[in-house]
Amino acid sequence: MAGGQERILRRRIKSVQATRKITKAMELIAASQISRSQARIFANRPYRQGMQRIIIEAALGDPAAAEKLLSMPDTVETAIVVVVAGDRGLSGAYNSSALRAGERLIKQLQSQGTTVRLFCVGKKAAPFYRFRGLDVERSFVGFADRPNFSDARLIASVVAAPFTQGQAQEVLLVSTRFLSAGSQSVETERLLPLSVPDAPIDETPKVLKGYTEFEPDVKELLTSLAPRALESEIFSALLEGAASFHISQQRAMAAATDNADDLGQSLTRIMNRARQDSITTEIMEIVGGAEALRSGK
Amino acid sequence: MTTLLVEIVTPEAALWSGPATALIARSSVGDFTILPQHTSTVGDLVPGIVRVDTSEGEVSFCVHGGYFQVTPDGADGVTRATVLAGIAELTSEIDVARAHAAKDAAQEELNAAQRSDATDASALALARDALARAELRLSVSEK
Repeated sequence: MAGGQERILRRRIKSVQATRKITKAMELIAASQISRSQARIFANRPYRQGMQRIIIEAALGDPAAAEKLLSMPDTVETAIVVVVAGDRGLSGAYNSSALRAGERLIKQLQSQGTTVRLFCVGKKAAPFYRFRGLDVERSFVGFADRPNFSDARLIASVVAAPFTQGQAQEVLLVSTRFLSAGSQSVETERLLPLSVPDAPIDETPKVLKGYTEFEPDVKELLTSLAPRALESEIFSALLEGAASFHISQQRAMAAATDNADDLGQSLTRIMNRARQDSITTEIMEIVGGAEALRSGK
Repeated sequence: MTTLLVEIVTPEAALWSGPATALIARSSVGDFTILPQHTSTVGDLVPGIVRVDTSEGEVSFCVHGGYFQVTPDGADGVTRATVLAGIAELTSEIDVARAHAAKDAAQEELNAAQRSDATDASALALARDALARAELRLSVSEK
């Protein structure tokens, strides 16, 4: 039956076009979220940099106290690993690259004899690790697309508790950093003990030198500063993760839309040929029939 | 002319910034006032009111704990005072009805958390924080 082939193709084209509409819509939505999430990163920058400046200032003000509070312990028996991934899929390599980096880090820590306690952000993270037989202590879901500062506070308070109680010696964060609209990369950073940022980001170090007053003294200040700095770092990681997620999704969906276009085009060609073939066959049959009738006369 | 440039910054946005004549707030050590040409200082802020005096009048903020840094006289002769607060708002923008509702909700959550032994310490701490914030907002808006 000639018409059957055509009908099947027509149905496939329709399905490809429907999928294309979905991917196109997702692409546009992701694109609109990119600028919004980027604006939130920029809005967060003054706070984050201010926090880092205060830590630098405090560390310079009393190096001995800072050394004691900020230095790494000699042995890390238990490390806390926080992995930031997304709540949704269909976003290219965003989730899998962060999750894989986390897995590598965990393997590496375990091979050194360190016990790892794992915390996850994003719906996609916990199942990944559970499938691989790793225990996820707690998974934070539902805000990876649009994180609020209160979400960061929640994570910080949960993650910092074992550290302050002395059950863990180190807190590590694996997340996707937003370097620019064109490049994002998965990075691992140490949240606790606090690391002193290498250099102030925007200001010349001359204002940092000299005598500075502290209220209260450096030791107390650094102790109370640690959880706040943790919140700040986690929040910026969440924001950058969200922006990276949207960029990655936009790119993936743009590629999917292009593929759907190509597929639709080639299917249309095949369908047209099938239709033409069936018409040709029909004409041949008619002509053949007419010829047979005439010669039979 | 030396001036004081005040910035109130929260993680979500820079809340306010502009020239000022004085910054008045309270740290864990006590009340303090920052004037132009103040020396380099770093300190914390206890939850309460941060007042900024400008030439057009005063602006006050409800700050739920935070830090401040003063960096004096850069090349441009400006003393910069930066207030970093996890949560802060303009006193004039406090929604009293919402604060009342938040206080009740936080109180309830706290009671529930205290009744059951199963809740973890962080949930308790968060409920306590929420209650403290609501109470501070109410006490500030009553003034």
